[in-house]
Amino acid sequence: MHKWGLAVDLDRCTGCGSCVTACHAENNIPTVGPEQAGRGRAMHWLRVERYWEGDFPDVQLKFRPVMCQQCDAAPCEPVCPTYASHHTAEGLNAQVYNRCIGTRYCANACPYNTRYFDFFNPSWPKPLHLQLNPDVSVREVGVMEKCTFCVQRINGAQIEAKAAKRELKDGDIKTACQQGCPAQALVFGDLNDPESEVSRLSKSPRGTKLLEDVGTLPKVTYLQRQTQA
Amino acid sequence: MSDASTSRLSDDLLRPLLQTTWQFYALVAFLASIVLMGLGTWGYQMYNGFGVSGINNPIYWAFYITNFVFWIGISHAGTLISAILRLVNAGWRRPVTRCAEVITAFALMIGAMFPIIHLGRPWLFFWLVPYPSSRMIWPNFRSPLVWDFFAITTYLTGSLLFLFLPMIPDFALVRDKSSGIRRRIYGTLALGWRGTSKQWHRLESAMSIMAIAIIPVAVSVHTIVSFDFSMAPVPMWHSTMFGPYFVAGAIFSGIAGLIIAMAGLRKFLHLEEYLHPIHFQNLGKLLLMMSLLWGYFVFAERLTTWYGNEPYEIAVLRVTQKGSFAPLYWTMVVCNFVIPVIVLSLKKLRTIGGCVFVSFGVCIGMWLERFLIVVPSLGHKYLPYSWGTYRPRPVEIMITISTFAAMGLLYTLFAKFVPIISIWEMRAGEHPAPALMPSAMKEHALGETHA
Amino acid sequence: MDRRNFIKLTAITGTSVTLASCGNPENQLIRFVPDDDITPGIAEWKPSVCPVCQAGCAVTVRVMDADVDTVRNGQAGVVAMAVAKKLEGQPKDPISQGGLCARGQASIQITYHPDRLTQPMKRTGARGTGEFQPLTWDAAIAELVGKLDALAAAGDQKSLVWLARPRASRRAALASTFLTGFGAPAPVEYEFFNDHVLRSANLISFGREQLPTIDIARSRIVIGFGADLLGTWNSPVAQSAAYGRMRQGQPQVRGKLVQVEPRMSLTGANADEWVPAKPGTEGVLALGLAHVILANKLRPGDSGRSGAAIDGWSGGLQDYAPAQVEKITGVAAKRIERLARELVEFHPAVAVIAGAPLAHTNGLFNALAVNALNGLLGAVEQPGGVFFTPGAPKSAATRVRPDTLTTAKVLLLDDANPLFAMPAAMQVREALSKIPFIASFGSFIDDSSAFADLILPDHSFLESWVDVQPESGSIEAVSTSAGPVMKPLYQTRATADVLIEIAGKLKTPVTLPWKTAEDVSKSAASAGAATPAAPSAISHQPSAIKYAEPAFAGDAAQFPFHFLPYASQAFGDGSTAHLPWLQELPDPITSAMWSSWVELNPQTAERLNIAQGDLVDVTSPAGVVRAPAMIFPGIAPDVVAMPVGQGHEQFTRYASKRGVNPIAILAPQVVAEANTLAWAATRVRIARAGDADGSLIMFAGEMRERPQEGETR
Ligand SMILES: Nc1nc2c(c(=O)[nH]1)N[C@H]1C(S)=C(S)[C@@H](COP(=O)(O)OP(=O)(O)OC[C@H]3O[C@@H](n4cnc5c(=O)[nH]c(N)nc54)[C@H](O)[C@@H]3O)O[C@H]1N2
Ligand code: SF4
Ligand code: SF4
Ligand code: SF4
Ligand code: SF4
Ligand code: SF4
Repeated sequence: MHKWGLAVDLDRCTGCGSCVTACHAENNIPTVGPEQAGRGRAMHWLRVERYWEGDFPDVQLKFRPVMCQQCDAAPCEPVCPTYASHHTAEGLNAQVYNRCIGTRYCANACPYNTRYFDFFNPSWPKPLHLQLNPDVSVREVGVMEKCTFCVQRINGAQIEAKAAKRELKDGDIKTACQQGCPAQALVFGDLNDPESEVSRLSKSPRGTKLLEDVGTLPKVTYLQRQTQA
Repeated sequence: MSDASTSRLSDDLLRPLLQTTWQFYALVAFLASIVLMGLGTWGYQMYNGFGVSGINNPIYWAFYITNFVFWIGISHAGTLISAILRLVNAGWRRPVTRCAEVITAFALMIGAMFPIIHLGRPWLFFWLVPYPSSRMIWPNFRSPLVWDFFAITTYLTGSLLFLFLPMIPDFALVRDKSSGIRRRIYGTLALGWRGTSKQWHRLESAMSIMAIAIIPVAVSVHTIVSFDFSMAPVPMWHSTMFGPYFVAGAIFSGIAGLIIAMAGLRKFLHLEEYLHPIHFQNLGKLLLMMSLLWGYFVFAERLTTWYGNEPYEIAVLRVTQKGSFAPLYWTMVVCNFVIPVIVLSLKKLRTIGGCVFVSFGVCIGMWLERFLIVVPSLGHKYLPYSWGTYRPRPVEIMITISTFAAMGLLYTLFAKFVPIISIWEMRAGEHPAPALMPSAMKEHALGETHA
Repeated sequence: MDRRNFIKLTAITGTSVTLASCGNPENQLIRFVPDDDITPGIAEWKPSVCPVCQAGCAVTVRVMDADVDTVRNGQAGVVAMAVAKKLEGQPKDPISQGGLCARGQASIQITYHPDRLTQPMKRTGARGTGEFQPLTWDAAIAELVGKLDALAAAGDQKSLVWLARPRASRRAALASTFLTGFGAPAPVEYEFFNDHVLRSANLISFGREQLPTIDIARSRIVIGFGADLLGTWNSPVAQSAAYGRMRQGQPQVRGKLVQVEPRMSLTGANADEWVPAKPGTEGVLALGLAHVILANKLRPGDSGRSGAAIDGWSGGLQDYAPAQVEKITGVAAKRIERLARELVEFHPAVAVIAGAPLAHTNGLFNALAVNALNGLLGAVEQPGGVFFTPGAPKSAATRVRPDTLTTAKVLLLDDANPLFAMPAAMQVREALSKIPFIASFGSFIDDSSAFADLILPDHSFLESWVDVQPESGSIEAVSTSAGPVMKPLYQTRATADVLIEIAGKLKTPVTLPWKTAEDVSKSAASAGAATPAAPSAISHQPSAIKYAEPAFAGDAAQFPFHFLPYASQAFGDGSTAHLPWLQELPDPITSAMWSSWVELNPQTAERLNIAQGDLVDVTSPAGVVRAPAMIFPGIAPDVVAMPVGQGHEQFTRYASKRGVNPIAILAPQVVAEANTLAWAATRVRIARAGDADGSLIMFAGEMRERPQEGETR
């Protein structure tokens, strides 16, 4: 049984935002337009948080890409009245759009605010719709959506491996954000495979979890930025 | 027994049922139109998408959930007043109980609408309901929202029974005084009441069972409502005291609601002779007690948060007390604590007018309290980058207003078709008749000492 | 007629009848036979090249089947065809190395943009109004040929001007061959953020008129002078990949990044040390560092021709002692000493300069100074230093001259938008309105093509043959060419094919060595990636250059602030402002979306009582723009900055009239000895113009991790 995880190397991440666009492109995430964005309805399953530290001239900007942390103890799951937000055997926090009735309770419970709500039916003025990824369902108004760890890629790779009668290798699965990242700051893989790159990185002394004290047992590991000696 | 007084009593109390004024029609028309506007607005929201409201990311709950908690809170009026006062058999309760129980029923119905109104896909609300679907997909019993469903339906059923039982003898009375279709309807509702002592005893035991049963239900309901918040790891939601805190708040706003309702009835139905200043003063004392209790809870909550100095909670505390929510916060404190304590603790201010004035304040204050529990926390969860602000838009404002109109409308109609003051209980109060009346109807020393 | 055509025909006749009978207006025709041999639901991967910037990242495109409303053989209908779904970096490409920047990711929306032109257009309204009507290709080409023949007849071939965005592709070669054949001047290249100054400097210092490739991955300390290596400059994907390896790539070693700039760029935000030196004094700082090294004999002094280009180098740069340099640059002498020693200690070290420092009147000096520093650090063509990609083709194109547009009688626009990208003071609007005939090959109606008389829309890059021979970004030579990944959606034509057809149709035809666009791209292999060109002998050894104070338009009293327009991460110079993904992409530093803004230092803002989002007027000697204020801790108190990219008069539903264009208010300052716009040499004053109007749209709620009291929203 696999256990999917992601490592984010904050010492490589430049904050460029390529992963954000890659996620939009891969997962049929709509753009909401200026008016709705101004009302706080912009949807970025993956957002690059930035925080200023200090003041001019000794000022610094810290970047931190934040997507669904795929918590093992996910607060968004028990509160969902319809099981639309639930845990899969491979440890993913799955979202069944068709089951979601839009209580938005899960999003309140999520300490990371990584769940985004469809306030309107998404629209892709023709022919923008031709870009939509057929492997990913388009969500309708009133449902909750969020980073899926590119589950379509996970399943696709597993099916391919099975068809080719071979074991899934580390690196067979790349999430869209990982693949797009110019600085190769993101590494996805199987945490149950001790040999995998992501396992190795997750054990790094630089490794930390976001809001570890909240007890959500995230499967995303942040490798802290180093400071120059 | 003096027939004169008896008939005068029933005349007075039945007048609203038997004669209809133009003011009545005007009022109903006015309230109904507002309610219709509210329903229209909800339709507009469903048709165009939830985005027409002011809800946003991360403030996913706001006015609707505030209204939900507020109305469920108001619904605690009836249960407490009538159940508790019945149990202690306080004599002054007699004219009050029914107005109170009615509030419970209607406030619950209105409050229960909001979990549906606030859904992204309200047309699928029944997925919250445990029904045997073709795929045997049950709701998630671990979700407080599902607990809400059970709690509210139980409470609603209970309160309706509790309201209905003592109405039976009065339905019989109306039946006897009316004719034609009216007679048939009230006859049905009277369930063949003849007033035999057997029936009286049945009624009595049924009522005392309900009175006892309904209290824990009421307490559980608002506890469970509070769980909607305290179960989620959200700063300043995740609190052990939310259960009792919410129940106290509920009763607090419930009494306030009741006082306003009674004053309204007294004025419009000319029930001065039945709703005496003493009733208001006693309720005023209760209100004062709840105000102090509320103050104590808020103090305990804020002090521990401030003293504990946990950064995520402090962020919420700061924005509520000092930040953009401060004006609302301090208005709440004045309405729920400062004014009630000053006005209600001074005997000469504890007049009908005084009590009503305070009650309006408390309703506003308690609505704000719920708003300030829901919104600032959601806007200031752990990661500051994802913080947000909230501005209501006409949609939720309209829907909120219409719920108050709905309450007024339902109440007016009820008072039109049912004696809003329990006639037989009033009679019992005037002429204790040991032989006829069940022991429960004998005055209790405690009851009168209030006067 | 082959089998497929036969079936198509029967299908057409068959279905058109049935559909007509059930009255389906938009699709008179359904093709049962797919355009492409593609298995429904099965993805294929096809190579292409990102068209957005000169870096020329090779991409691999995910292609799947889809039902497309389109026109085939003049008939509208639904066609099952292979369409592009997602772009990824080509892992084997030494430039992209499997990654893409946000703009590259979004470039697929160019192909599917709802406002893309679907066929040739002829202007109907007044110039600039953007009113056009369709016409056939034959008519369009005939019209253009007519204009060219007229020029030729009048013996006025000289006044045909080809204005293009710089491209590292064979398209440039095609254009220049065509123009020479016709007798017109060489193609003119224009881009607002061009690197002319750096190329000129490299020619002087190293004999290479070419952009450098910085071997970031192997260097232990990189000092950047205004070069946004990780964001927008040159080859950001290659540079970010190298940066990643520099940080965590080699065991035990973590390279250090120092960034010198008055406004924190994405690169500055990632630097270990951020040095806000006074604008225009970067060269002095570089020489200050060199002085310390020379004075303390930390390294052998000889730095060849790069040193020779600097006045006083052989004398040990006496005028650039740290104390002096502190006075000029505002960087503490102690810090200069320390940095200099670090540059020697952490070998290999490399310096890189680009962007604003080169856009001052003394930009050439700044570049030469940094080049000399590299020479001193032994960083030239050494591991961890600067390299020059071999075999990058020399562009025959020339730079824009003041009279370029005024002398044109026929102007051909190839992906250039001068009206947007040149300061209003340069009178582009007037010039464009005077030019008798303008034709554009663009796929969209933008600020400039709204002035065109004729638009001959090109295929999108995914529908055409593409090729690139990057000038920089890789140490070894790179040349990529690829065929179309999908059939054209519309009645567009590859500009290469159009040029070739025109060349043949002229009264005196121009003979070209290519028959089709395919030939042009394929000729890349022979042309690009050839043998490394040896350093060209220096044409003229210029007199050694010395520091001259940067000159600014607008006197410091009246215009107290340096004005710094910068390339935005999402839009670069504005050419991708029409892509919705990029409009909604939170800016890496500010998190703003769909907006323009003016960056102000917090103290400055407080002094002028300007709050976040308040509208401010930015007034230069050349004009004024109004935009919301962005309180920005990473900018010097005497500098205000604005992102370039918004403020298009015309550029599709997503960008038209959105935000403001800071280029508009630049004074036409020129970089000495480089005849190019000194876009960082304008001063401005700012004034609060009104309360926040909601036009500043931020994704961030709060940008301090532990917000102080009062900072909460
Ligand atoms: N007796 C008998 N049994 C049969 C067959 C038969 O012919 N006769 N046919 C067999 C065949 S071929 C099939 S395909 C199966 C079909 O049987 P099922 O797979 O059960 O399909 P349905 O019964 O059509 O739908 C099941 C439930 O799904 C709900 N539903 C609809 N949309 C959604 C959604 O988006 N999400 C969720 N969670 N629920 C949704 C519907 O309301 C419905 O209650 O039955 C098989 N069983
Ligand atoms: S793409 Fe990579 S480097 Fe850029 S922000 Fe995302 S994670 Fe960071
Ligand atoms: S990050 Fe949020 S959404 Fe994702 S699993 Fe954890 S709680 Fe759920
Ligand atoms: S919004 Fe959807 S997923 Fe979230 S709790 Fe409600 S039903 Fe479940
Ligand atoms: S893993 Fe996939 S879904 Fe999640 S953020 Fe990355 S790209 Fe988006
Ligand atoms: S750097 Fe970005 S925009 Fe430029 S070519 Fe590469 S991917 Fe395209």
